[in-house]
Amino acid sequence: MKGKKAKCAGLALCCTAAAFSLAGCGSNADDGKIQIEIVQYKPEAANYFETVEEAFNATHDNIHLTISSPNDAMTILKTRFIREDYPDIIGIGGDINYSYFVDAEILTDISDYEGLKNINSGYLDIAESLELVPTDGTYIVPYVANAAGVLYNRDMFAEHNWEIPETWDEMLQLCEAIKAEGILPFYFGFKDTWTCLAPWNAMAVELAPADTAKQVNRGETTFTDQYRELAEKYMQLLPYGPDDPFAYGYNDACTAFARGESAMYPIGSYATPQILSVNPDLNIDSFVMPASNVKEDRTLNSGIDLGFCIMDGCENKEAAYEVLDFLLADENLQKYIDDQNAVPCKNGEFKLASMLDGMLSFIEEGNMTDYQDHYYPSEMSVDALLQTFLIEKDVDNFLEIFDTNWQRYNRDIIRMVQDYEQSH
Amino acid sequence: MKNDRKRTFLLITIPILALFVCFNTIPLIRGVVYSFTNFRGFGKYDWVGFRNYMDLFTDARVGKSYWFTIKLAVVTTIVVNVLSLILALGLNSKIRAKGFFRGAYFLPNILGSLVVGYIFNYFFTYIIPALADMTGIKSLSTSILSSPSKAWIGVMIVCAWQAIAMNTIIYISGLQTVPEDVYEAGGLDGATGWKQFKHLTFPLIIPFFSINMVLSVKNFLMVFDQIVALTKGGPSQSTESISYLIYNNGVSGGQFGFQSANAVVFFIVIVIISVAQMKFSSSKEEQL
Repeated sequence: MKGKKAKCAGLALCCTAAAFSLAGCGSNADDGKIQIEIVQYKPEAANYFETVEEAFNATHDNIHLTISSPNDAMTILKTRFIREDYPDIIGIGGDINYSYFVDAEILTDISDYEGLKNINSGYLDIAESLELVPTDGTYIVPYVANAAGVLYNRDMFAEHNWEIPETWDEMLQLCEAIKAEGILPFYFGFKDTWTCLAPWNAMAVELAPADTAKQVNRGETTFTDQYRELAEKYMQLLPYGPDDPFAYGYNDACTAFARGESAMYPIGSYATPQILSVNPDLNIDSFVMPASNVKEDRTLNSGIDLGFCIMDGCENKEAAYEVLDFLLADENLQKYIDDQNAVPCKNGEFKLASMLDGMLSFIEEGNMTDYQDHYYPSEMSVDALLQTFLIEKDVDNFLEIFDTNWQRYNRDIIRMVQDYEQSH
Repeated sequence: MKNDRKRTFLLITIPILALFVCFNTIPLIRGVVYSFTNFRGFGKYDWVGFRNYMDLFTDARVGKSYWFTIKLAVVTTIVVNVLSLILALGLNSKIRAKGFFRGAYFLPNILGSLVVGYIFNYFFTYIIPALADMTGIKSLSTSILSSPSKAWIGVMIVCAWQAIAMNTIIYISGLQTVPEDVYEAGGLDGATGWKQFKHLTFPLIIPFFSINMVLSVKNFLMVFDQIVALTKGGPSQSTESISYLIYNNGVSGGQFGFQSANAVVFFIVIVIISVAQMKFSSSKEEQL
C-alpha cells in the first residue's frame, strides 16, 4: 500500500513539474553568443529570410540570428505580447498595428541608427504620419514598399491595341472596349474580404485626402463627405467583373487572371508571385488606377510593406543594428526585390521587376500616397463593411455605418487625439 | 486503513485540481479582470468599468453573431439528431455488411474539420454551381457561400455532415442497451413500427438522447473551425460565430478587453443553456 501511494504521489509530482517546466521553454542554450530573434510577418518571403539567416550566421561569430516567418504572424506576435514575451526585432508593415505598437510604448527609438540616412525620406514621412499622435523619435526602418493599382495582361493589351487609361472616363471606355471583344475586363476575389480593399485604396489616394482618417479623428470632417465619390465610382467597376465575385477568393482570382480569363486584375504588386506560380509565362505589367478626370491628380498608391522595429525589451541594441545593416546591404535587399517584386525603401540603384514598369515614373518622381486602410483599425473590419456595401450597393447606408462604426471603434484614440490637440 | 485510502484519493485529486486551476480557472479569472479594461492585448491600458458590457448590448455586430450562432446551433442540433437517430436505427437492424457501414459512417469524425471545410469549400464554389448549370437549377448556379442569406446553410451542412458520425455511434450504443424481451413483450400488446419506437425504444434511450443534445448544442455554439475554412465570417459578416468574433477581434484585432467581456457573457450563456438542458431531459428519463 505504502509503495503504491508513493508511486501515485511521485506520478502526480512529475505531472505538475512537467506542466510548470513548460513555462520555462524558449530560453536559449548559452554558448556565449548574443541571441537576436526576428519575427517577420510575410510568410511568402520565408525562403529569402532563411537564406539571410544562414548567410548572417556563417559570417558572424559573436551574434546568432534566428528569423521566423510564421503564417498569421500578427496574431502570433500579439499572443506573445500578451504573455510579455518579446522578440528582439519585428518585421511588420506600416499599418494600424504599427501605430498601436508605437502608442503602447513597446518599440525602441532608433533615431540614432546610421542606416536611416539612406532610407527614402518619403517612406520615413509615411511612418511618421502613422503615429496616432506625434511622437518623438523613429521607430521603424522601412525596408520595402508595395504598390497597388491595376495589373494587366501585357500581351492581350498589345494584341488588341488597348491603351493605358489616364483618367476615369478613359478607364470606363477601356472596360467597354474589352467587354465588346468578349473578354472579361476585371477579375475580383471578393470572397477574401481583404481584396475588397485593393481597388478601394488605389482609388482613394486620388479622391480623398491622404490624412482623411486623422482629420476625422480631429473632428474636422466625416467619411460621408470624403468617401461618397469613391464609393459611387467603386460600384461602377462591379459590372466589369465576374458575375458572382463573392464566390471567388484571392487564390481563385489570381489563378483566373493567370490563365488569361480577364484582361486586368486590380490588386497590389504583391500578387505577382502568386500569379506567376500558376502561369510563369504570363507577361504582366501594371498601371496606376485612374480615379479622377484630372490627369495630374494621379498618384501611386504605395506604403511600407515591410519594415523592421526593435522592441523595447531588446538587450543588445548594437547587435540588433548590426543585423539591420546586414538586411539593408544592397545585395541582400536586391535579392528580396527580385524574389518578391517589391519596391525598395532605400535610396540607390536597384533593379526593379518588369511588372512595375508602368509605375516606375511615379516611384522615380516620389509621387506616392499611403494606403487609406493603414489607418483603419483592424477590429472595425472595413474590408467586411466594403464587401457588404458591394453586395447591397447602398452608398448612403454604407457611409453612415462607416462613420458610426469609426466613432465606436476609435473612441479611445479620438479622445487621445483631441486631448493632444488641446494641450498643444 | 480508511484514512489511508482517503489520503490516496486526495493525492490523486490535488495535482489534477492544481492543473485545472492553473490552466482553466486562473485564465478565466484573468479574462474577467481584462473585461473591465480597454486592453488591446499589449502595452498599457486603462480601467473602463462596465463600459465593455454596456457596449456589448448595443453592438450590432455582436448581436448579429449571437443570432447567427444560435440559429446555427438550433437547426444543426435538430438536423444532426434526427438524421443520426435514423442512421442508428438502420445500422442497428439486421442488415448485410453492418460492420462496414458503421465504419463508413464514422469516417467523417476522423477527418480534421479544417480539411473537411476546405473540401466542402471547393465543392460549394465550383462543383455545385457547375452541376446546377448543367441541370438548369437557377437558384443553385451561384455558390451558396457567397450569399449573405444562404451562407449559413453551407456552414450548417458541413457541421452536420461531420457531427452525425459521433452522434450515430452514441445512439447505436444506446439502442444496444434496450433488451430484446422488452420488444417481445411490447409486440404482444401490439406495439410495432412507429408505436414501438415512440413508446418503447425512445423512452429507453433518453439518457443517450440528452447527452447527444447537450454535446451538439455545446459544440455548435462554439463553432469555429468550419467558419475559418468555409467563410471566414463572410459574406458581409453573416456567418461570424461568437467564438470566431472573440478570437478574431480579441487577438488579431485590438479588442482584447471588449472581447473578454463578450467571452464572459458567452460563458454564462453556455452554462445556463447546458444546465437547463440537463434539468429538462433528466426529468424525462425512464428506468426499466
